[in-house]
This record gives sequence, C-alpha cells and structure tokens, in this order.
Amino acid sequence: MPETRAELHEVVTSLAARGVALDLSTLDLCFLAALHYRATHPSLASLASFTEEQLVAVFDEVREVAEPEAHSRRRASDAIRRLREQRMLARVDGSGVVRAGEFALTRLATGIVEFFLEQETLTRESLTLLLRTLLATLTDLALAARSATSPESWKATVAAPLAVTVADLVDGIQRRQRGFDLQQEQFQKEIAALLQTDWFGAMDRCQDLLDSTGATLRELNQVLLRDAHTLSAALQEIQELAAAADSREAEEGARLLMDQVDRIAAWGSARQRAWSEYYQYVHRFLRDVVRLDPSRVLTHRLHERLAGKAGAPFALVVADAPPLRLLRTDVAKPSPRPPVRRRRVPVEAPLADEPARDPQAKLTADVRAAVLAGARGLCEVTAEITGQLPPEDRFIAAGRVAQAIAAVCRPNAAADRPWLPASDDLLIEEWTVTEPR
Amino acid sequence: MSTAFATLEDVIAAEPFPEVDLSLRRGRHVDAGDRDWYTFLMDAQALLEGFYARYGCELIHKSDGYFYLLPTDERLGRRHLSSGEMLVGQALTLLYLDPKAVEHGGVVTREQVLAELAGALGTEAFLRAMNPKRKRYDARIAEETARAKVGEALRRLAALGFIEMGDEANLRMRPALMRFAEPVRGGTEPAKALARLVEEGELVVLTDDPQETTAERADAEIDADSDGVSPDDEDEETE
Repeated sequence: MPETRAELHEVVTSLAARGVALDLSTLDLCFLAALHYRATHPSLASLASFTEEQLVAVFDEVREVAEPEAHSRRRASDAIRRLREQRMLARVDGSGVVRAGEFALTRLATGIVEFFLEQETLTRESLTLLLRTLLATLTDLALAARSATSPESWKATVAAPLAVTVADLVDGIQRRQRGFDLQQEQFQKEIAALLQTDWFGAMDRCQDLLDSTGATLRELNQVLLRDAHTLSAALQEIQELAAAADSREAEEGARLLMDQVDRIAAWGSARQRAWSEYYQYVHRFLRDVVRLDPSRVLTHRLHERLAGKAGAPFALVVADAPPLRLLRTDVAKPSPRPPVRRRRVPVEAPLADEPARDPQAKLTADVRAAVLAGARGLCEVTAEITGQLPPEDRFIAAGRVAQAIAAVCRPNAAADRPWLPASDDLLIEEWTVTEPR
Repeated sequence: MSTAFATLEDVIAAEPFPEVDLSLRRGRHVDAGDRDWYTFLMDAQALLEGFYARYGCELIHKSDGYFYLLPTDERLGRRHLSSGEMLVGQALTLLYLDPKAVEHGGVVTREQVLAELAGALGTEAFLRAMNPKRKRYDARIAEETARAKVGEALRRLAALGFIEMGDEANLRMRPALMRFAEPVRGGTEPAKALARLVEEGELVVLTDDPQETTAERADAEIDADSDGVSPDDEDEETE
C-alpha cells in the first residue's frame, strides 16, 4: 500500500502504464459466481480446479438461466478467454499445449464474487467476537514482546503475527464495516421505496426500520468506543517495546495497526452522526409531510399550481431590511500623482573608445621579449610562447612564432637543420637567431 | 443555551443575537438545521416577538419547525420573491414532498430541479417562463438563460434559508420550503386560503403587469447578458 503521496503517484502511474482495466458483463459475473459456488460449497464435491470441459458445462448452465436466447459454444470460449485475460481465471497445470488445461478462480475473481454474494455486515455479536479475539491476540503478543531477546525472536513471535493474524482480524472488522455501509445505503433505498408504494401505510414500517437501525448503530458505536481504547493501549505497549529493542518491522506494524484501529473508531462516530441527521430528516418527513397529507392531495394541488392550471400566481413576502450604511472616515486625499510616461530608451548605446587589440603585435612583442631574455633558438622561443596555449592551438601558433622571429631578428637557417621537440606533441626544424634588429 | 431568557436585555446580550437579528431582517428563515440559532430563537421567542412588533414585524414560528420575520408595514423594508424564484421554490417544494428525496436525506441535484420544472410546466412553457422578455427566441440561448436563472434563483433561495447549497451540483432542502405550499395546504378552498394569506401579508398575488422586484431586474440583466440586449428600464421596486 502506498504511504506517501509520491508513492501513490508512482502506483497510479504504474497502473495507468499497464493499462489495468476490468470489463465484466452480468453473464461473466454469473459465471464466476457459479464457479465459486462449485469450488466452495460443501454439498458438492468441491473442485479446486476446473477442466475446460467443466468450465464450458458450467457456462452453458449459467447461460441457460441468465440469457436463454444466446448461442453457446463460441460464447463459452470467448468468456473463458476474456476472464483469463482479465486474470479472473488462472491456468494451474503446467502442460502448455500438450493437453487441455485446468483452471482455477484467482483471488481477484473470488473477491469480486464474494462482494456480490456475501452479506458480511457488522453486528454486535460479530464485532464483540472479533474485538475479543483481537484483544486476546494482542495480549499474547505483548507478552511475547516482553520476552523476545533476539531480532529473530522479535520477527517470529511479534512482527509476523502482527502483520498476518492481527492485520487480518482488523481487516475483518473494516470489511464488515463496509458491508454495514452498503446495508445502510440499501436501507435508505428501502424506506424511499416503501413510501413510494404505500405512502401513509408505510409509516409504521419506516419508523420500525429507523429505530432498529439507529439502535444497532448506537450499540456498535458503544462497543467500538469501549474497546478501541484498550486495543490502542496494547498496540502502544508493543510499539514502545519494539522501539526499545530496535525492531523496526514490529514497530512499524504496530503503528499501522494503531492507525487502522483509530479509523475503525472514527467510523463509528461518523456513521452515528450521519445517521442522526438522516433519522431526524426522515422523522420530520413522516411527521410533517406524510402524516399531515395522507392522501397526497398537497402534492397534487401544488403541482397544478406550478403548472399554472390553478389559481393566480403569487409571490412570498420576505423581510428585506437595507444593510446598515457605514460612512467612511474622512481621510486627506493624497497629492495627485504625476502622469504616467513611457521611459525613453535610446535606440543605440553611445560608443566608447576601446584600445585596439592586435594579436600579431602582441606575439611579436612576446617573441622580442623572449629573444632579449636570452633565447637563441626557434625551438626555445616556440616552447616558451606556445607552452601556455592548449595543445590544439600550438601547431598554428608555432607557425606564427616562426614568422614573428623572422621579422624580429635574423634567423640563421642552415641547409641541414635538426628537428627538435618544442613540446611533447610538436617537432620543429631548429633555427638559431641573433640579437633583435 | 438551555435556559430561557429573563429580560430582553439578556436576549440582546446573548452571543448569537447580532447574527440572528441581521439574518432575520434580511429575510432568512431559521430552522433546526441552524442549531444554535434555532435554539436561541426558541428560548427568546416570547421576548423577541414584542421586540420586532415595535419595528412593524411579526416573528413567525411555523409548526414545520422554522422561524422567519414577516414585515407588516414599511418600516423595516420588504420585498416579494421574483417569478423565477417562485417557480424554482415551488419545484423544490414538490421535490421536498417526494418520497424519492428520502433516499438521499433531502439532498437533490440541480438537474433534478430543472427536470421537475420542465416536467411540471412542459419544456417549452418552462423556457418561455424563464425568458419572458425575449423577442428573438433561440432554443439554445433560451436553455442557457433558463439554467442561469435557475442557478441564480437557487442562490437567492439559499440566502433566504429555503435550501442549503452543498457542492456545485447538490443542494439540501430545508423545512422552510413548506411556505411555498401554504396556499394549497389544509382543508380550506385554495382561493380562500390565498386571500387569507394575502390579507396577513404573507404573500402577494402577481398581476399581468407586476411591479418588478430587484430580483427580477437582476433576472433581466442575466437575460440581457446572454443576448447582448440591455434590459428595459423599469420603475424601482415598491411593495
């Protein structure tokens, strides 16, 4: 599960890049439900996996019931292929193309089917049982944490049970909470449907439904308020012991579970608040609307009036006191600001005298200085002047130095001149030179 | 605020008084959803009735569970709702009475309000009602104007406490909407009930040439904005 916003972004990007999608028709869901039933129901020989023939047979049975007019064989293969592509069915044999495969429902398919099939909601009994089991497990874990001495024992006796057993129990409570939320939504639809079908006669039934659900929610909230504190205290103790023993895994596990327990407790109070508002609204509706208008004549008359079929148009009168006039305090007017003018920018910047730069003259001066300093060979002068330059510029500079020397003094170039290194990568024919002219 | 007040001075010194007083004077309806304000009015009702009577107003507490201030003369200032506000208000009241609204705890969408209006009046009549001054009639512009006017009417009705605006699309209906159903409530003949309510100053009957309210002038401005025609110059609102 992503914990930070950056991680969430990473997960979302990855899912989007993989093009994750689900496309299930009613028939697909019915097919999965039938497979799930066959795989789990104790009255049948529970099938851990299905052959292709069995899958087709189940699909045909389902299609007969759900879509009797459609055609079979090709649709069965299509459905199996589609479900495999969407990772609802997994091939569990390793035979490849050698023989027909065996298939099993994946965790994803099981989760989807269970959502539609199971009415797993929170009741006082299930909540009390789950919380008691959770508390007992946490007490054992706290004992184990006190006696754990090595990182291995921390991992085996505390961190692992926290991550699996306790987390599953907490997940179980949250799953049932979501089931309860769905039931609430369904229940609100039921009240609306009852009133629509039997306006005045549904009052008592609606009242009963409101009262019973309100009472259930109140009980759940009481249980949660009572036990959430104890659970948090136990987890806090485990977290502190883990921190003292430097067991990061157990500490992090306890922290995550504490967050989950807090969410479970917050769910109770949030739902009770929302329910209270809904309860008051429906109660008022029953009292002010249904009871006072048993034959719905009010709705009919108002409809007629809105449609302009009855009576003259009218308008409600409401109070409309003008707002209080608050006079501003007298403040001295600031002096008028000068008019805004555009700043004049000169078209061209004024010219300034700059000393001329003549690289050849500088080179000549450098060569003259080198000769005056005592250099008596082309190689020596070239090495001195080109030594400061980057290697790629030395070759060109060497030619210019030779030209400058010829201009500054009289070179003595014998017919047979020796080749001498001016630097590591430069060989030149040596001249001897005299005093500058 | 569990104890009733002993004197008017206590009421005026109470913390919610300024806000409640200003809101009531601006035509706001206060119901149990306003929590502290409603409790305050329940506790101070007897003292405030005398207080507002001196301003030529009546502090009304309806059995549906809401308070409002009804001016009986011109001292405080009063207005009547525009025809657009009335149409939207009555459509909302029909939705309030509809058992389907129970499913969502009295929350409806703008689309439901538009659909109710179009269903009750007929689409053509609804668009005509929302574009009364338009001479050149274009269906697309008329629909756009109607949506804008309904949105504006909803905003004004929310300011008066008839509804509570949620997010962009949803709104919660409040008990004060039952005021729109007053002329057709009870066993008496609607015409007689209407006459009685007019006599009590609760409402006015609109004639063919109604005095234009501030709200209606604003409606006309929305109208003009959408087709570039300036609204007709009409007289100031009087009641």
